[in-house]
Amino acid sequence: MIISPESLAILGGAIALAGGLTGSSIGVGWAGSPAVHTLTEDPGQLRNVIVLVSLPMTQTFYGLIVLILILTRVVPNIAAMPDPGGSGFAVFACGVIAACAEAFSAAYQGAICGSGISMLPKTKGAILTNAVMLAVFVELLGVLGLVFTIMALTMLGLF
Amino acid sequence: MTIGAESLAAVGGAVALAGGLGGAAIGMAIAGYKGVATLAEQPQYLRSVIILAAIPMSCGLYGLIVLIIILTVVVPKIAAMPDPGGSGFAVVACSVIAACAFAFSGISLGSVCGSGISSLIKTRGQILTNALVLAVFVELIAVLGVVFTILALTMLGLM
Repeated sequence: MIISPESLAILGGAIALAGGLTGSSIGVGWAGSPAVHTLTEDPGQLRNVIVLVSLPMTQTFYGLIVLILILTRVVPNIAAMPDPGGSGFAVFACGVIAACAEAFSAAYQGAICGSGISMLPKTKGAILTNAVMLAVFVELLGVLGLVFTIMALTMLGLF
Repeated sequence: MTIGAESLAAVGGAVALAGGLGGAAIGMAIAGYKGVATLAEQPQYLRSVIILAAIPMSCGLYGLIVLIIILTVVVPKIAAMPDPGGSGFAVVACSVIAACAFAFSGISLGSVCGSGISSLIKTRGQILTNALVLAVFVELIAVLGVVFTILALTMLGLM
């Protein structure tokens, strides 16, 4: 068969990492445009700008964790089943959880970091701590996406 | 069979290049129309504008690298398998990682470089270095897309 349950499970892992990469690209882009304008006004803020711009990149690694878990544990589990049935599509469904969580949390973390970056010259860099704190709330949703994907895979007995 | 495992793997490589070219085209257009506005005011910044507007093109080259790797290494390996099963579809799944990474990082590169181009006049060209530093962050995500696609193909034993 052209599309086997294992390959559908791999698509589930791949879509999780693709969501992470998509969200990180959008997030770093959304934070990067205000960063250029901030550096135009005050080039001394480069260090704070780099800290805030790199925050949305973490979601890529959550997506990578999901991909590696699926490739190393779930795919061999499915391959060992005598009749996998819909298991491959179930893993794809769990991958969609992670993909949406990582894509949207990274993109909107970029929006928060971009707002923080535009406030850096006005506050002489003091906004950094508060901006990082607000960005951590969005980061939490990315972590929850990873945890709930693993939870769903465990409840299905595929992990 | 009309759709063989090898041809599905070739579709995977093509999807990666298509994502890269799409992202590169949109990114260069976003940076390009900021460039036209800047050059209308100060034509002597042509060199800096060309450097910044050409950066999103790299995503197309990364897509080409993934296509060449799949066509030269992965397709012959699948053709040599006695029963490829879902391997072709697994290559498509891995290419989705690369395609999403290149498409969205190309667009984000365009918006970061475009902001840099609009700030060239105000900073008398000084923003070029800082804009390149911020563009490298987005570029990094595209490189991660290449690396993780190769990693996934290697973990599946297809490379």
